[in-house]
Amino acid sequence: MNRFLARAGFGATSSAAALALAAAVMLVPANLLPVLSTESSGSNRSDTIFSGIVELWRQGLWAIAAIVFTASILIPILKLAGLGWLLLSARRGVFGNSRRLARIYATLDFIGRWSMLDVFLAAFLTGLVQFGEFSTVVPRSGLIAFAAAVVLTVLSTQAFDPRVLWPAPAASTS
Amino acid sequence: MASQLSLTCHLCGQEHRRIRLEPGEKALCTRCGAVLETGARLGPDTALAFSVTGLILSVPAVLLPFVSARTLGDERISLLFTGVGSLWGGGMRLLSVLVFLCGWLLPLTLLAAFAILRAPSQMGWDKADFRLLSRAARVLERWAIPEVQVLAVLVALMKLGDALDSTIGPGFWCYCGMALSLLIARHSFDFDSTAPPHHAGGRDSTAPT
Repeated sequence: MNRFLARAGFGATSSAAALALAAAVMLVPANLLPVLSTESSGSNRSDTIFSGIVELWRQGLWAIAAIVFTASILIPILKLAGLGWLLLSARRGVFGNSRRLARIYATLDFIGRWSMLDVFLAAFLTGLVQFGEFSTVVPRSGLIAFAAAVVLTVLSTQAFDPRVLWPAPAASTS
Repeated sequence: MASQLSLTCHLCGQEHRRIRLEPGEKALCTRCGAVLETGARLGPDTALAFSVTGLILSVPAVLLPFVSARTLGDERISLLFTGVGSLWGGGMRLLSVLVFLCGWLLPLTLLAAFAILRAPSQMGWDKADFRLLSRAARVLERWAIPEVQVLAVLVALMKLGDALDSTIGPGFWCYCGMALSLLIARHSFDFDSTAPPHHAGGRDSTAPT
C-alpha cells in the first residue's frame, strides 16, 4: 500500500462513498413514488418510472421504452454499482487492474449525464401539455427524488479522484 | 511555464512531454490509455468558431417557438423556458432551477468560457484568471448537458404521438445547433493549455518565472 499516494486512504474516497450511498437511498423513493400524472378528459393516471416504461412498451413504442429504460433505470443502477466497485477497489488497494478500473471510471463519467433524460422529459411535457380539462401533465414527488439521485451520483463521480486507482507516478514523487 | 510543455493525464496523473499533433492525431496516455489531446481536425480555431456559433444560436433558441401542440382546436406554443416556468409555478422550484442550469445557463457559460479562453486577444485578462476559468470550465462540463435535453424532447414528441398534433418550431432547431456546437467545441478544446495554440509559443518565452 505504501506505493500508493497518501490520498488513497480511507478519507480520500469517503466523500464519494457518502454521496453514492445518499444517491442509492434516493433511488428507492424515486422508483416507488409516481413521477408524472396525466389527466385527460376525466381519466387520471399516475405513473412511476417503471410503469411509464411499461405503458410505452404496451403502446408499441419499443425504441422509446428502451431509451427511457436505459436512461432512467439501467444507467443509475450501473453507475452506482460501478462506483461501489471502484470505491472498494480504491480502499483495498489496486493491483494490476488499474487500467481496466480507469476505463470503467471514464465510462461511468460519460454515461451518467443521460440519466437526466427523465427530468428534462417531465419538464418539457409539463410545459407543453397544459390543455385544461382535456389534457394536463403534472410532475409528482418521485421526480424530485429521482433528480436528487442523479445529481448525487454525478457529485459522487466528481468527488472520486481517479488517480487513487494508480500508484504514484514516478515523475511527481521525486 | 511547465504546463505548455508537459501534459498531465487527468485520469491517472501520469506526466508526459507534449508533442505537436497533426490534425486528427490523438495523444494517448502511456499508462491508462485516456485521450490527452486531439489534433484539431478543422484547425486551431475550431473551439473558438463553434463556441461563438453556439452563443449566437442560444438567442433564437430562447426566443423562437420551441414546439407547438394542438388538440381540439386549442393551440399551445411552448418556448424553451415554458417547462422551467411550469415546474416553478407548480412548486417544484429546485427542479426547475436544475433544468434551467443544466439545459441552458451552464451550456452557455461553458461556451462563453471556451470563447474567452480561445479569443485572439487576452482582453486584459491575467494568466491566473485564464487558469481559473479553465478549471471552472472543467467542473461545469459535467453539468452542461443540452444534448440530453434534445433527446428528451424527441422522446416526449414520440411519446405524445397521435394524442396531440405537435410541430417542432425553429427554436428547437436552434437549440439543437447550440447543443451540437457545444459538443464540437468541447471535443476540440484542450483543457490543459491555458492559451490559444497559436499563441502558446510566443507568450511562454516572454513569461516571467
